[in-house]
Amino acid sequence: MNQDPFEGRPVIQFASEKDRRAFLKYAALVGVGGSLVSALPISNVFAAASPTPSPSGSPSPSGSPNPSGSGTSQFGAGDIGILNYALTLEYLESEFYQKGLAANILGDDAKYVTPVAAHEAAHVAALTATLNKLGATPATKPTFVFPPTTFTDKATFLKTAVIFEETGVKAYHGQVVLIKDAAILGAAASIAGVESRHAAVLNYLTQTPPVPNPVEQHATADETLAAIKPFLGA
Amino acid sequence: MLNSIWNRRSFIGRTAIGAGAVIGGSTAIELLSTTRVWAAAEGTDGDILNFALTLEYIEATFYERGNAAGLITDAREKDIFATIQKDEEAHVQALTDTLNKLGVAPVAKPTITFPAATFASRESYLKLAIVFENTGVGAYLGQAGSITNKDILQAAAGIFGVEARHAALIGVISGATPEGGIYKGATETPIAKGDVLAAVMPFLGGMPNTGFAPAKQSVNLLPAGLAIGGAAAALVAFRTRGSRTPQL
Repeated sequence: MNQDPFEGRPVIQFASEKDRRAFLKYAALVGVGGSLVSALPISNVFAAASPTPSPSGSPSPSGSPNPSGSGTSQFGAGDIGILNYALTLEYLESEFYQKGLAANILGDDAKYVTPVAAHEAAHVAALTATLNKLGATPATKPTFVFPPTTFTDKATFLKTAVIFEETGVKAYHGQVVLIKDAAILGAAASIAGVESRHAAVLNYLTQTPPVPNPVEQHATADETLAAIKPFLGA
Repeated sequence: MLNSIWNRRSFIGRTAIGAGAVIGGSTAIELLSTTRVWAAAEGTDGDILNFALTLEYIEATFYERGNAAGLITDAREKDIFATIQKDEEAHVQALTDTLNKLGVAPVAKPTITFPAATFASRESYLKLAIVFENTGVGAYLGQAGSITNKDILQAAAGIFGVEARHAALIGVISGATPEGGIYKGATETPIAKGDVLAAVMPFLGGMPNTGFAPAKQSVNLLPAGLAIGGAAAALVAFRTRGSRTPQL
């Protein structure tokens, strides 16, 4: 469990298990500086790192509390870009679990991971189908690279899985307020909830706090893409 | 009084939402790429928050009583249940504060009653816990398209995800089947407000001043061993509002 799947590179910094009583200080969902989430540690880390909207310069949707969400514009405009961004993350997760299960290193825990792999594959298929239906071109699957011991050491695999799931949860929640179409919002949220289940179970399996916060946190596309960059091959 | 409400006669209009709403991968694809029913706008953001607050009151009370009953003895499981209780209490607090900030009166905490058998054993406690969590997940998701304020949407989604974590964890602790018990398919399933209210109404000993729309179909989310009937069943015979079906 001491192995670092990212070889010392900072992939994404997660908030530590926070004192739930502190949450009460920010308990109102609105009116405390834009959102309660802005008061949480992870957002502070990100806020310091990327205080301005994305360099693409596309304006953030009016009324959005998440001004730097335009990092999805590289994948397409508006909801199309968001769907393709989500598809890219699901490609990563799907390949990761496929390889992990194939490696046959999970023992009894495979029963918890096998459905997760199926879900991620279904997300890829669903997002692809949705993009096609909308007349958009689905993003192509990137080439992924994983640290050497990812699929040979169970602890490394599960630890990496936790990171991917928590990243996925934050990524979806970062897009929730940016999606314009109500049906796409509903569909994305219905996927996000499943990612939360995965995160909880994988945390449980790795003996880490399974519900780190009383409310899910969120990350912008720029932050998320920076976090997964180590896995993107040539 | 409890006995008269919580007699064990079978429940009218039992449906499969609680027991069998398992969505497989292939179904998930259809859900996302074809027609999906989302709840119609069922009131203002304030109405939705009060709806959520009522559910959170029930959940918080449920864990307060269940955890106090000492049914969970394993240290790690106990810790998880303590966390879940704190989460639900935090949700109550957050929703209350938000309603106050919006200038909308938060609903009063209703009188909440549970069947006597609920806290009789670890099994019955876990059984109902998993139902409450999955109902909460569906309830929040059912409102996703109706919330207009972006801050509230962000926060409600954030609560929704945590309810999903709770549901999965209680599934693991219960030794539930991974797919169908811990996970509910590749996508979460929304539950219309009327159906949620019909499901939780039996736990509301006193009708809160919610102004909630009544439901068309009665829905039973209770596990078989905790079936209720009689006066409570009568409360459930409501009508639900229509739904719109946006095309994706």
